[in-house]
Amino acid sequence: MLWDDIRSVRRSVLIGGQAGQGVAKAAEVLGKILVKLGYYVFNYRDYPSLIRGGHNFNVVTFSGDRVFSHDERGYEVIVALDQRTVKTHLPEEKKDTYYIAPKGVNIPRGENIDTSEALKEGIPPIATNVILLGALAKYLGIPKKVALEVIRSELKGEFNEKAFLYGYERGEGSGGKIGRIPRRGLYFLTGNEAIGLGAIASGIDMYIAYPMTPATPVLHFLAARKKQYDFTVLQLENEIAVVNAALGASYAGAIVMVGTSGGGFALMSEALSLQGMSEVPLVVYLAQRTGPSTGVPTYTAQADLLFALHAGHGEFPRVVVAPGDPAEAFERTMEAFYLAYRYRVLSILLGDKHLGESHYTMEEGEFSPRVKPERFLVFPEGDYKSYEITEDGVTPRSVPGAIEAPVRATSYEHDEYGITTEEGPMIEKMMEKRLRKAETVREAVMELEPLSVYGDPEADRVIVSWGSTKGAILDALGHLSGWKFVKINYIKPFPSSLFLHEVEDARRVVIVENSSTGQIGKVIAMETGFITEDKVLRYDARPFTPEYILRRLRG
Amino acid sequence: MKFDLKKLDTYAENTWCPGCGNFGILTAAKQAVAELVEEGYPLNKFTLVAGIGCHAKIYDYININGFYSIHGRVLPTAIAIKLANPELIVLGFGGDGDTYAEGTAHFIHAARYNADITMVVHNNQVFALTTGQATPTSERGYRGKSTPEGKWEEPMNPVALALMAGATFVARGYSYDVKHLTWLIKEGVKHRGFAFIDVIQPCVTFHNVAPYVRERMYKLEEVGHDPSNFEEALKRALEWNYDLDPKAKIPIGIFYKVEKETMEEGYNRRIPYYKVERKVDWKQVLAEKKII
Repeated sequence: MLWDDIRSVRRSVLIGGQAGQGVAKAAEVLGKILVKLGYYVFNYRDYPSLIRGGHNFNVVTFSGDRVFSHDERGYEVIVALDQRTVKTHLPEEKKDTYYIAPKGVNIPRGENIDTSEALKEGIPPIATNVILLGALAKYLGIPKKVALEVIRSELKGEFNEKAFLYGYERGEGSGGKIGRIPRRGLYFLTGNEAIGLGAIASGIDMYIAYPMTPATPVLHFLAARKKQYDFTVLQLENEIAVVNAALGASYAGAIVMVGTSGGGFALMSEALSLQGMSEVPLVVYLAQRTGPSTGVPTYTAQADLLFALHAGHGEFPRVVVAPGDPAEAFERTMEAFYLAYRYRVLSILLGDKHLGESHYTMEEGEFSPRVKPERFLVFPEGDYKSYEITEDGVTPRSVPGAIEAPVRATSYEHDEYGITTEEGPMIEKMMEKRLRKAETVREAVMELEPLSVYGDPEADRVIVSWGSTKGAILDALGHLSGWKFVKINYIKPFPSSLFLHEVEDARRVVIVENSSTGQIGKVIAMETGFITEDKVLRYDARPFTPEYILRRLRG
Repeated sequence: MKFDLKKLDTYAENTWCPGCGNFGILTAAKQAVAELVEEGYPLNKFTLVAGIGCHAKIYDYININGFYSIHGRVLPTAIAIKLANPELIVLGFGGDGDTYAEGTAHFIHAARYNADITMVVHNNQVFALTTGQATPTSERGYRGKSTPEGKWEEPMNPVALALMAGATFVARGYSYDVKHLTWLIKEGVKHRGFAFIDVIQPCVTFHNVAPYVRERMYKLEEVGHDPSNFEEALKRALEWNYDLDPKAKIPIGIFYKVEKETMEEGYNRRIPYYKVERKVDWKQVLAEKKII
């Protein structure tokens, strides 16, 4: 029943095969074709930590209405580039799942495409994914012209166009027809791409990183655009070098971001504390994956929340902001830069593999930055105090070499000129200056929609969550009545009064989190005193789907 | 024009031990900055980066731009400062624990990156601010509180390491020969690329090697050493392995000097980023992801 409910509003296609067979690319191209036709598409990518072989798959879920999540069973079509795909996903099929595979792969039903003529037509075996994409397009009733437009712009090599047509002509085309929906202003992108674009829109000067899944795509994305936008991408010897270099560059006047995942973030923690003391602006993108330790490196989790909130010794202000989709990732990246540079704080942009590597369809109007990028620098003549004690705790920032007076940054407790101090009264004053700054940042964050509410605002049953669970929860919400979804965007500073207002009359408050302990519940208890033990958690390294949430809420 | 050295003083109280070898390095650094300013280098472009340890207090004692970093991280900080603003004259000051223990990886890679910065290592062969433990450059047999029976393993030879790692300027100074050290620091600053200067710095409290060093020290420039010859440089570097061998000779001066492309050139960095006015239209940035 639940299934019929979900399938009535969306369709899902699984494409699977070995790593290196072009599964992800075929799914991305299919997604773009469907968006071009006016559909909303979500493209989930599932891959193990290897380069060749194994089993990779994507699930492309699409609908004429909004869709922000994928399905993990009941696929309408399974495109199997190899036998293992059929075997692996057989338990997830529905009774009429249609299979498309090359000849030689045994399938329960559907069509086998004979690819033996392909080589003669100048189509190399590497393009088998595109041949099957052609057959799939035929099956779904996708107009050939639109598909070819996308193939031409997305895939290099003339053989790809031939490969698509080869599959299209041999395909049986029994799955209906997909017409064009007249829509404008649709974007198709991943969270990582949105973060890269948000950094560019923030005027980034330097992106510094050490490769680590799932943050690496941002490194690649920005490296491919550094010439166009004239900024530097720097890969250094380890994450410790990365974060200290970032602080050095930021001190010297550059707009900087670093990106990493849990292990790399752990290596950076000492320097996060240096940020707190030195007040040198720093933006860190933390892309979570399944831990602890190396864990399940190409899969997702939300289990580094408490770590992100507490990493670094001593007490100092910080911002932790968690986007829920690429439009938010774009805007929140801009805010992370704005807050870091305006208030000289640490901004942690908390994402994960699911947000980072899934493709979402976003509408133009959903991108609406609340802030404008700026360097926030002063160039006083004569005297300058690098740590001037001010009412709001924020010292106007200058950079070395730009003014006559020395500009200092320091890891030691210091006086207003940045000279080391061990005097009690000065230590107290500086600690209080940083506390006042935290309060100033809190006020600024309260203007940036730190919390969002979806669904029926009067509902007395509440889902509380943050980050990449947004998609599955929104898609589940459409099948629920009497529920609302409270999404916490800024976890530090925490929007306590806004949150308490949303749950004060609630009959049920359920935490949804990709973790085994429900860390946001602990944060809420700590920040507001509100306690709920009602949790829907998932910790098999897979992201939520609407079906999973609905089953758990109803069960 | 004569530069008034007093301009480089700060009001900070100097807390080094009386007679500390660091005073020599401080004096030489200030003298080098003063002379370079007299030669036309702008004072406000000098930017120092210090690690953590006795050496690092130098941050408080010279009135120029400064980043008092954390233990071991002088080099990544300094390199990135140079990339962000190539107009700055970046002076790194590290200790031997700082540079050769906590930050070894950065040291090796900094030699390879060849950013145009100068790195001065206050090598007193001991962790002094933590009261006298052995460092990688302490001699075999060094007795500290953590090695009461004497340090077991062989010392690291940072000069040889820097040469092998590809540093383009490798030198050794002696903290009590201020004039010579001043010259080395100036040569380091003038060198286009990564200039590394290991400074033997007797620690009067925990590791006073002044009598040992004084007797065995000689100057490379006085024996006709050719700093463009890599093999010769390596041979000279291996003359002393930092053990307190009574028969050793200790060369100071410039071991090796070569011109290579700098990191800033490699990354095509010229204009300080803070001067770059970016007029980015966020809608245009997003356009590449617009499908319809």
